[in-house]
Amino acid sequence: MNKKVLVVDDDPDVRSFVVTVLEENEYIPLVARDGIEGLEMIEQESPDLVILDVLMPRGSGIRLYRHLKTDEALKTLPVIMFTGIALRSFLKSQKALDEFKGGEIPMPDIYLEKPVEPEELVAAIEKKIR
Amino acid sequence: MSANKILIVDDEEIIVRLLSMSLRSDGYETITAFNGEQGLEKFKSESPDIVVTDIKMPGMDGLTLLKKIKEIDIETEVIIVTGHGDIDSTITALQYGASDFINKPVRDEALAIALERAKAKIHIREKLEEYTKNLEQKIAEATKEIRRKSVFQRLLIRSSNDAIVAFDHDWKIVVYNPEAARIFGVKTSDVINKMTIQDLYPPEIADIFTAEANKSPVPGEMPWKEMVLQTIDDRQIPVHYATNVLHENDEFMGIVNFFQDLTEIKRLEKELVQSERLAAVGQTVSGLAHYVKNILIGLKGGSYVVDVGMKKNDTAKLKIGWETIKKNIARVADLTQDLLTYSKEREPECQLCVPNEIVGDVIELVTDVAAANDIKLSKQIDPGIGEVVLDPQTIHRTLLNLVHNAMDACLEDEDTSKAFEISIKTRMDSDNQICLEVQDNGCGMDADTQAQLFNPMFSSKGGKGTGLGLLVTEKLVEEHRGSIDTRSQLGQGTTFIVRLPYEIADAFDTKEDGL
Repeated sequence: MNKKVLVVDDDPDVRSFVVTVLEENEYIPLVARDGIEGLEMIEQESPDLVILDVLMPRGSGIRLYRHLKTDEALKTLPVIMFTGIALRSFLKSQKALDEFKGGEIPMPDIYLEKPVEPEELVAAIEKKIR
Repeated sequence: MSANKILIVDDEEIIVRLLSMSLRSDGYETITAFNGEQGLEKFKSESPDIVVTDIKMPGMDGLTLLKKIKEIDIETEVIIVTGHGDIDSTITALQYGASDFINKPVRDEALAIALERAKAKIHIREKLEEYTKNLEQKIAEATKEIRRKSVFQRLLIRSSNDAIVAFDHDWKIVVYNPEAARIFGVKTSDVINKMTIQDLYPPEIADIFTAEANKSPVPGEMPWKEMVLQTIDDRQIPVHYATNVLHENDEFMGIVNFFQDLTEIKRLEKELVQSERLAAVGQTVSGLAHYVKNILIGLKGGSYVVDVGMKKNDTAKLKIGWETIKKNIARVADLTQDLLTYSKEREPECQLCVPNEIVGDVIELVTDVAAANDIKLSKQIDPGIGEVVLDPQTIHRTLLNLVHNAMDACLEDEDTSKAFEISIKTRMDSDNQICLEVQDNGCGMDADTQAQLFNPMFSSKGGKGTGLGLLVTEKLVEEHRGSIDTRSQLGQGTTFIVRLPYEIADAFDTKEDGL
């Protein structure tokens, strides 16, 4: 059975791009426009993988990511961070949050900086769920 | 010099000798003659100070001698010795300029008194001469000094870096220095004593000064002020000016104006603003790079979707991809325009336009995006605003920018239970001004964000904004001599209020005709 991949991004251009890439590679695309919609979608549709933007209005990718990694049931859901933010800045921000909140959140398995070629995105997805 | 030499003329020798002896003993030097001819000879050769002469003498008589002596030296004191009741000759002697008269027989005391009087007269005359001579010299010196001072003052006025224009009590121009000629563009020779205040100054300024001069109590110095001077040859010069009303003994004498040309300073100020703006663009470069990257992401993504659509002959895909590409091309175009607008000087291009129609155009442009994000758009326009003279570009871009910001503020709001709404209002403000209002009930801004709104480096939208939007808006509004106000409350929404001054259509028409 084809696997479900959820893309959470507020930019419609990015959504349509990722959806097309997913369709081309026989995944079932799911879309959400922000963190809140993303969490609802995860709970309703149980996707196999989430492609998550970092900076979004209404519940940013950072908040959703931390939620997923601290939720027993969702902890193992693979997440690909897909963002325009440089990895270095992202890691620094996460470290600061860890220190502030206590505890340590595991870093995302795969971190892709936009823009990416379709092949790169596909390779990243396959690495996690095939 | 003391008057000491006396010529005594009488045909009676004995009298001459007695007088001479008496005078010598008084310390005078005496010369004697026994008739008129001899007297004249002695006068010529000896140049006495005083002459004492009898009237009746054979040959040349005393009156003739008096006349001749006076012809030679009018200053000579001539004392006439006269017999009793000789009125006619006394009158003639007076006419000829005799100084004094003594009666015969000559008494020593009378002669002494007459001589003293003559001596006193000579003395006074000498003093007077000396004094006059002194006075002349003093006047010459004073004149020289005055001339020197006046030349100095003229040079001072001429060489002043300030333009100096002074008017007398009839408002005629009496001082007008080269800097004034440069600023006003009228030759000195055409101005001084030829023009009045009304000829040189624009009427509104001439009126201010004439009113100032008529004020009581006596006004002193007016403080430095700024204005744009409209010259006769139709140049506009920004100047600093000051006025002094001149009085002497409470009487109005005129006024003097000082002008400083601010053209260069204004140009430098403008240049400074311009370079600050360019520096701001420089500062926003990293933000811009981020924004451009987002456009690139859109274009790449879009072209991939188009590729797929073509490969599969999938029209729906093609359409989605193509829309993405078009949207991002538009973003590049907008960015370019924003950059150009922000970094270049621009004068508003005012023309007849209907602001309410522009509101409609802007709403139409954003309807689709608003609908896609469940944002309701509404407008409340003031039908009283008809055709006015404004820069339609300024209104269009300002509104579009503010509406885009308002939409972003709605999308940014975490309270999804809200029914998002953006309303655009127009209303007539007082004083030939229209007011444009863009109100949203989105996320609002905290005080910190509000404080940074118009900062060049600032964007609250991360990579989704250029940080240029409000800068461009602010610049357009400023160039239009308008103003922007913001009211915002975190979680409640934001209202931007833009005020733009306009000219009414009629006035603009008349102006055009006048050109």
